[in-house]
Amino acid sequence: MVSGFAKAERIMKCLFVRKLHLWPRFQVYVSQELERNPPEVVDIKVPMNSAMKGIQKAIIEVMDACLKEMRKTNKVDVEDLTVENGLFKSFDEIIRRQLDPIWHNLGKKTKQLVSDLKTLRKLLDYLVRYDAVTYLKYLDSLRVSESFRSVWIFAESSYKIFEYAKKRVYHFAKSEASISSGQNESMIGKKRKSKESSNVKEASGGVFLQEILEEPPKWKVLRDILVEIEEDRKKQASSSEFAGANEDEAGGIVLVACKDEHSCMQLEDCITNGPKKVMRGEWEKYLLSKVELKGQQGRHKGSKKKAKEPKGFGILDGVVPRTGKEDGEASSINKQENDALLAAASAVRSLSNKEAVVEDPCRHVVDNELNAEGRKRGKSKKSLQGKNSDKQSKTLCNSKTSDKSQVTNPGNEGERIDDSTIAEDVVDEGDQRTLLSGTGVLRRHTEDVCPDATTNLTLPVHFHALESDLCILDILKPSVIIVYHPDITFVQEVEIYNSENPLKKLKVYFLFYEDSTEVQKFEASIRRENGAFESLIRQKSMMMIPVNLDDHLLGVNSSIDLQSSVAQNTITRKAGGRKEAEKEMQVIVDMREFMSSLPNVLHQKGLRIIPVTLEVGDYILSPSICVERKSIQDLFGSFTSGRLYHQVETMVRYYRIPVLLIEFSQDKSFSFQSASDLGDDVTPNSIISKLTLLVMHFPRLRIVWSRSLHATAEIFTSLKANQDEPDEAKATRVGVPSEDGIVENDVRAENYNTSAVEFLRRLPGVTDSNYRTIMDGCNSLADLALLPVEKLADMMGGQKAARTLREFLDAKYPTML
Amino acid sequence: ISTNSVQKSNAIFVSHRQKGNPLLKHIRNVKWNFAEVIPDYVLGQNTCALYLSLRYHLLHPDYLYYRIRELQKNFRLRVVLCHVDVEDVVKPLLEVTRTCLLHDCTLLCAWSLEECGRYLETIKVYENKPADIIQGHMDSDYLSRLNHALTAVRRVNKTDVVTLGSTFGSLSHIMDASVEDLARCPGIGEHKVKRLYDTFHEPFKRVV
Repeated sequence: MVSGFAKAERIMKCLFVRKLHLWPRFQVYVSQELERNPPEVVDIKVPMNSAMKGIQKAIIEVMDACLKEMRKTNKVDVEDLTVENGLFKSFDEIIRRQLDPIWHNLGKKTKQLVSDLKTLRKLLDYLVRYDAVTYLKYLDSLRVSESFRSVWIFAESSYKIFEYAKKRVYHFAKSEASISSGQNESMIGKKRKSKESSNVKEASGGVFLQEILEEPPKWKVLRDILVEIEEDRKKQASSSEFAGANEDEAGGIVLVACKDEHSCMQLEDCITNGPKKVMRGEWEKYLLSKVELKGQQGRHKGSKKKAKEPKGFGILDGVVPRTGKEDGEASSINKQENDALLAAASAVRSLSNKEAVVEDPCRHVVDNELNAEGRKRGKSKKSLQGKNSDKQSKTLCNSKTSDKSQVTNPGNEGERIDDSTIAEDVVDEGDQRTLLSGTGVLRRHTEDVCPDATTNLTLPVHFHALESDLCILDILKPSVIIVYHPDITFVQEVEIYNSENPLKKLKVYFLFYEDSTEVQKFEASIRRENGAFESLIRQKSMMMIPVNLDDHLLGVNSSIDLQSSVAQNTITRKAGGRKEAEKEMQVIVDMREFMSSLPNVLHQKGLRIIPVTLEVGDYILSPSICVERKSIQDLFGSFTSGRLYHQVETMVRYYRIPVLLIEFSQDKSFSFQSASDLGDDVTPNSIISKLTLLVMHFPRLRIVWSRSLHATAEIFTSLKANQDEPDEAKATRVGVPSEDGIVENDVRAENYNTSAVEFLRRLPGVTDSNYRTIMDGCNSLADLALLPVEKLADMMGGQKAARTLREFLDAKYPTML
Repeated sequence: ISTNSVQKSNAIFVSHRQKGNPLLKHIRNVKWNFAEVIPDYVLGQNTCALYLSLRYHLLHPDYLYYRIRELQKNFRLRVVLCHVDVEDVVKPLLEVTRTCLLHDCTLLCAWSLEECGRYLETIKVYENKPADIIQGHMDSDYLSRLNHALTAVRRVNKTDVVTLGSTFGSLSHIMDASVEDLARCPGIGEHKVKRLYDTFHEPFKRVV
């Protein structure tokens, strides 16, 4: 409401509202009302651990650097550009609002900076939301998808981000000393002599991997709180038995509010199964995704030798700027680290019962990669544990995952005895390990707490994702609320809920990370709320509202009357007026175009819109004019995909006046690029070159340049002026393969799942001629994914296309590279 | 008119009418010289161009029409190079567009003299160039195809594609994933999950 100039005033004018009431929090009545019955509020500051602090500091440093760069560009108002503002979503809007009018004229670097800032804000947010492993996973994906374009990833501090993030998950060491601990458990890591070890200084130095799997500090606190509540309840229950007080109050629901569904699920898991298991699960998933990548890489290697290898590893390990060529040692260390990761992953993989099948392709490759020693240990370990390796690994896996949670094992009786003994061993080892690792003390503590927390928890705990926008409070009527991720709007909801239910004793816990941006963000949003109200009050005092708003309302109606009467006059004045009035102008519009708002605007202009499925073109204005509409983004995209060329080709084939409409958007600049970005030479990548080529190959193609949607509508009407009306039946038949001959008259845009259709058409093997039969042949994309090749071949009209599609669907994703 | 010598040359022929046009300064990558030609610029055997500044058009709205009429049917590609040098473009541009469309001219808009010059240069340089750079030999490797397909779903970006790919392993697994599985992916929020799921599981045709 406060952003922009006199926004409130304008809104009120538009709505013909004359009175503005403001009820800020600091208003006396409001605060009285809300605080008549204050809930019990407990703020808990959870200290962040050092790695998290490190990451946070590094991110803020990078953000600061980006902002400084931004200021240098001289294109934005620097006043709003502070790190604090940078924490909010609205920050993007601030920047975009300033930059949008000149967006096309900006250099690549500035654009990149804007998107980098967005990424960094997300990273900060996720730091407090996700657990260590998920966070690392996200970073990995980010690195893969961004490394070649973005600026920030190369900065010194961002290197730190990756380092810390890794440290939270596993520790990579090269010393002999702690190998013994590593040997205890195959999952921790494997000592391996890598092939490259000759390059390393200490040739004999084995490398191994140590898991740390740091759990978010909040998890522990959350459990503590739950235990505390539990105990309180018990006490209360015992005392209330004497007093005979109301029982239902004690049995109220505990509501845990977190930001998103993801953390809800994770917390729920964490409470029921114990944090260890959750982290373990995430870790295993992470490793598995790595192993897949390695499999792919390994295969690659087989065919392409080692040409690409160093680069790949570099990317994986965050030393993108200096890959193997410059810094041989570093990369070989990284390689070792990777191998260690890989080994751990393969261990996980071989343990997970499903993948225990020997003929697993990835496993196969992994085995190839493992050197002799690794394999030997793997075998010896297995032989120690039992004869039937498959079964054994399964039980081992079970015991591991069930770790300390008291979930009953699904396995049969005979195995369970084995299980429990193994499980005990594992527990011991686990404790040893945690002692060795840095966070040992904390971990032990949590382990002590954890079992009784999980076993005794009978509380009705409900997890609520703030994103889902449900009025959960009124439905559940919780008596205890734990705000896991502080959020101002939720706090307000809680306040209202509390004042509406004065009888209920409400207890609210807030979980903050100490000194984190989370706190900063929360406090800043409170400040902003107050600031917003203050500025609104100020605005209200100066607001100018026209007195005759009611008259104005009438005025609108009368002006409409006036218009229509004028129109009638003109008609009667013109000789052929009557004829025109009878015949409305028509435009045939492709149903896919309904994603844009041009059909709407055309309708407002008084044109009759006929929605059909068009094979050629987007709009048919007359029997000879066919228009293909491209927004600027589309234009660039469809030049690179080649789609535009083919669309124009067919238009030229079927219509006398084929038109390419290039539509700019109203709020952005009306040009492709600034003169300074032009460069000195004719380059094939420039939009000018592409457009020129198109024009030269289709001399009959006409180009229409439109400033905005509304300008387009005007151009359309003007072009139609002396033309015949288009023929619907003919237009739909154009370009449709003649053998099916079905005229689809009555299909409307809303009958199609447009994004699914678009998705389908982008799959390899799917062409303009066969996508309709595919849509007829199966219900949804999910169905399509399950069809065998033969079925696909039937629908797609060819073995080759079907095979291409099937292979694409089933192709293993070459992870992380 | 010395037609043959003009048309075989690899220089742009500029009409004497264009003398003093600052645009000429910006034709640097191609040779050009003045010649007795009807259009403003002769760019090849069958290609010519007329230069029109929108500001000039506002003063002389009929100018373009007469120039086009002069050309007769001697060129296969007739370009009207429109220099957009006014702020309020909608109305004059509409007129120019209409004239071009009705008289078989291709309209190209440029926003600076440099850009105008570049268009002329490019048309000359690409005189005999095949269209393969715009015919879209789409990157045929797996990743870019996957990116292309998945980013058809709104709001899904490249990072998400990597996340989805590494989590589910293959596209068919992604398409078959449940809401919970999708929600577990880092970086993919409520809205994206819904959008993805709907794309994959809603039928192509909503109402039968």
